[in-house]
Amino acid sequence: MRVLLVEDDQLIGSGVEDGLIEAGMTVDWARDGRHAQLALETTPYDLVVLDLGLPRLSGTELLNWIRKRRDHTPVLVMTARDTVADRVSGLSAGADDYLGKPFDLTELIARCRALARRSQGRSTDTIEYGDLSVDPALLTVTRGTERIGLTSRECALLVELLASQGRPLSRARLQDSLYGWNEEIESNAIEVHVSNLRKKLGAGLIRTIRGVGYVVEKAS
Amino acid sequence: MGSIRQRLTLLVLLGVVAVWAYSLVSSYRQAIHEAEEWDKTRIEQIASALLVLDTPDLPTFAAIVLGSAGDDDGDNDASPRMLYEVSGSDGRILSASQDLASVGLPAFHATASSQIRRFENPKWHAYVVADGARGRTVRIFEQRSHRSDLSAEVARRVARPLAFALPVLTVLIWLAIGCSLIPLRTLSEAIGARSPESLDAIATRGVPDEVRPLVAALNILLQRLRGSLERERAFTSDAAHELRTPLAAIKIQAQVALTASDSDRQRRAMQRVVEAVDRSTHLADQLLALARLDETAPMLSERVDLARLAQTCVGDHQANADRKRMSLTSWIDGAVAVDAPLTLVRVLLDNLVDNAIKYGREQGRVEIAMWCEGGKICIEVRDDGPGVTNEHLSRLHDRFFRGGDHVEKGSGLGLSIVARIVAKLGGSFSYTAGLDGRGLGVRVALPMAAHCGID
Repeated sequence: MRVLLVEDDQLIGSGVEDGLIEAGMTVDWARDGRHAQLALETTPYDLVVLDLGLPRLSGTELLNWIRKRRDHTPVLVMTARDTVADRVSGLSAGADDYLGKPFDLTELIARCRALARRSQGRSTDTIEYGDLSVDPALLTVTRGTERIGLTSRECALLVELLASQGRPLSRARLQDSLYGWNEEIESNAIEVHVSNLRKKLGAGLIRTIRGVGYVVEKAS
Repeated sequence: MGSIRQRLTLLVLLGVVAVWAYSLVSSYRQAIHEAEEWDKTRIEQIASALLVLDTPDLPTFAAIVLGSAGDDDGDNDASPRMLYEVSGSDGRILSASQDLASVGLPAFHATASSQIRRFENPKWHAYVVADGARGRTVRIFEQRSHRSDLSAEVARRVARPLAFALPVLTVLIWLAIGCSLIPLRTLSEAIGARSPESLDAIATRGVPDEVRPLVAALNILLQRLRGSLERERAFTSDAAHELRTPLAAIKIQAQVALTASDSDRQRRAMQRVVEAVDRSTHLADQLLALARLDETAPMLSERVDLARLAQTCVGDHQANADRKRMSLTSWIDGAVAVDAPLTLVRVLLDNLVDNAIKYGREQGRVEIAMWCEGGKICIEVRDDGPGVTNEHLSRLHDRFFRGGDHVEKGSGLGLSIVARIVAKLGGSFSYTAGLDGRGLGVRVALPMAAHCGID
């Protein structure tokens, strides 16, 4: 899950970034509204975490701009101004959720997951596929009574593939959703993760389509 | 005296009594004068009658005109009021009042002229007239107490209406003043009944013209109070909001440190917790400084050598400047000293330099300049950073306002603290050009210390 974090405060931004990465998300951090616009124009995101008090282009302006583009990426607004009036104006401007500072990091992560899930049309956090049950929050896959642990990248890759069942995803696309702007990527990183997943969950789960990428077949 | 009503009543009554007393005295004088004139004329007529009447008729005439003359006011005292004596040219007494001998009056001698003459004696007025042709001399004596009785009577009659009128007048004046003061009482009741939160203007409708300025002044005071209360509220809310940001950072970083799987990330998060605590400490310090400035307690002034203070300040901020690889210099022209509380000047300079370093550019310059000019000490701190747009310039010393584009995080209180200190020290504050045609300069002019340059 690739998240765009828009926050001008160095200390809060770095904390949220670390927290979301720790939770298995891929985070791009924009320090102001203009950078955020640029990022949204070039990269597809699953979620935007937005601070309202931004320099250059305010969070509200950015939110309006996003919605004007008919971009339905879920937006979670976090702000220190959280009176009822502030919340109402934020939500009616197109925010999907609202979090007042200071907030709990675990709550932020849970809300991010919930928003992403809802935009994918799911109502619970776990993803069922055949006899597998994937829990992105715990980074585990359950098969019957067996619990299999995944790394955050493996889990993110699996969730990405499961979210578009039957539709092959290119290696570049998968890289984009797994790695942020500043992360060093080994050229064979995706292959390594796929082979690890096959080792843990069985070879038949992820199919390679030569010249295109990887696919998980639609659940029967 | 506290009560307007009492004072007014007393003053009006005093005025009335004074005017009345004056008119009493003048009427009394007039009345006495008139009475005397009348008396004199009457006595002259009696005297001329006594001169010409036949001797046998004299006692009868005298009894009629003199005996009953004093009795017209009804009081009937035994002692005679008027006595007469008619003597012939040889000094023989032709006729006289019976009591005359017993009273023992001195002889008043007539002159040759026919003019009536008056003599005064402690108890009597004497009128003497002589008629040379008839050889008669008439003397008429009038008791003085008769006169004073008359005067007392006149005085009593003039004063009597006042004796009745004064109490009536007192009551009337008291009521009239009380009536006129009703709007004042209504007003004070209306003000008294207001809730302590209500700072709305007092209605001026139905308020007498005399009280209107007072109400207007009260309304201006209320308006000012409302303004400062609103500012206070806004400040409190802004301050709370500002405090939340570093708190949010602390909480997030602490949670990252608790949950992070690798120790590098954990360590970094803990460092950021410390950084965020420093930031909120700085904010709390700035808020406290501002609160202290709001206190009205006077601070002790002393001679502050700004040159030395600038040196200290450069030393204190050198580390921060080094971090951004900036050069921090001071330029001092002449003896610069002010009479002011040291802490205030120190906080002032610290904030200016702190801002310049924060909002200046990497590898840039910050210059502190001080000089004397027209009886003022000018302190100017300039940087060569990106500067401030005109649009933002006017809002720069608003509390919690931070300029647009920067990564540095200040409290947003620095310049509002500077502005407050400058106002407190009776100086002035202006923005000037920065260094090398860019950046921002802040100039503060403070009153020069007395005898600046001598010591």
